[in-house]
Amino acid sequence: MAKTIPFRLITPTAAAFEGEAELVIGVGTEGEEGILPSHAPFLTALRPGILRANAVEDGQPRRREFATSGGFMQALPDRITILVDHALTPDEVDVDAARAELQSAQERQKAHAPQTAEFALEAANIDFANARLALRTGA
Amino acid sequence: MPTVRDLRDRIRSLKNTQQITKAMKQVAAAKIRRASTAQHQAQPYATALSDMLRDLMAAVGSVDHPFLKPGTAGAPKGVILMTADKGLAGAFNSNVIRSGEQLARAQGPVVWYAVGNKARNAARRFADRETFAQSLSLGQKIDTARAVAAKVTDDFVAGTISEVVLVSSKLVSMTNQRPETRTLVPIVAPEREKATGPRAEVEFAPSPEAVLTRLLPKYLEFTIFSAMLETDAAFFAAQLLAMNNATENAGKLIDELTLQMNKARQAAITKEMLEIVGGAEAQTG
Repeated sequence: MAKTIPFRLITPTAAAFEGEAELVIGVGTEGEEGILPSHAPFLTALRPGILRANAVEDGQPRRREFATSGGFMQALPDRITILVDHALTPDEVDVDAARAELQSAQERQKAHAPQTAEFALEAANIDFANARLALRTGA
Repeated sequence: MPTVRDLRDRIRSLKNTQQITKAMKQVAAAKIRRASTAQHQAQPYATALSDMLRDLMAAVGSVDHPFLKPGTAGAPKGVILMTADKGLAGAFNSNVIRSGEQLARAQGPVVWYAVGNKARNAARRFADRETFAQSLSLGQKIDTARAVAAKVTDDFVAGTISEVVLVSSKLVSMTNQRPETRTLVPIVAPEREKATGPRAEVEFAPSPEAVLTRLLPKYLEFTIFSAMLETDAAFFAAQLLAMNNATENAGKLIDELTLQMNKARQAAITKEMLEIVGGAEAQTG
């Protein structure tokens, strides 16, 4: 079996995932970042998107996916820590709420000029809503 | 001398009060558990966040972020006053409010931001007008924390306030809560550790400055959020203590009044017997 590394996915209200993983792929601001065990110390900001991890639970490999809002990923040789505001498993995604949010964020974004903070904020909301929908529909 | 009936009425009403305080005590005890669980669950995030912040601060030379620079000179301070929404917890809320008031008196003009209904009422009184206010327990705390953080950030960046100070309750122990005053912005870097071992060469993407710029607002948000959780837990701890004392005091008073009532009843019986005996003697005499 491949080497594993302790991986924690933490939100302000709970630990969404805590366990061992062979590989963790986060959507960094510079593109997707895959982290394997024994990675050099690394810290990046994450964009809203789908976080994938090849977890190992009870000795069995298991693929775990979460729709996450923006956050941060810290990789150390002996552990990976991800901090996000929200992390949802496919079961936790409320499709109707995500659709409604997507629509209202798109509406709100139109009112702001590109390159403004408000525009970026709504873009993040749109990305997070899209990530939730994509996770649920398995796209 | 109160009559037997007066005393009986008072005892009855005291017993009712005691029942209420006892129930509130039990509710507070149950809620403490929930509040401290929430606090406990936020702990890993707090640890990881300050860990990252420390790495970042050690890595960056100078960052052009408003949170790391002193605020506009001469502008009033922004004070986030944080209390519970409700009372009946001894001096819990008034201690925090008094701390805020003292701060304002010592530091000159301040702009108030209230979290919790009691703080809102106090801030309204201090400022003599409507102030920015949020409820502590209404809605999701994290959303409230975000709203407060966004508001103070806007004001700080706009130069309306020169710094952001938080006055909230610290849960020292279950029987001890005291107000605490902290400066949130400008952010002071956590203790720089000696850069040793693998931590010395952390790689950042895209750059430490860019990551830090994203991390600092989160840090402010989360600090407010965790202060809210602590206020919540401290409030229920204070309420538990206050309701416990109230229940005990009511018990003492009930005992005292029961004794008085028995004495009064005894005195009435004695008096009646004396009257009967006196009457009988007068007839035979």
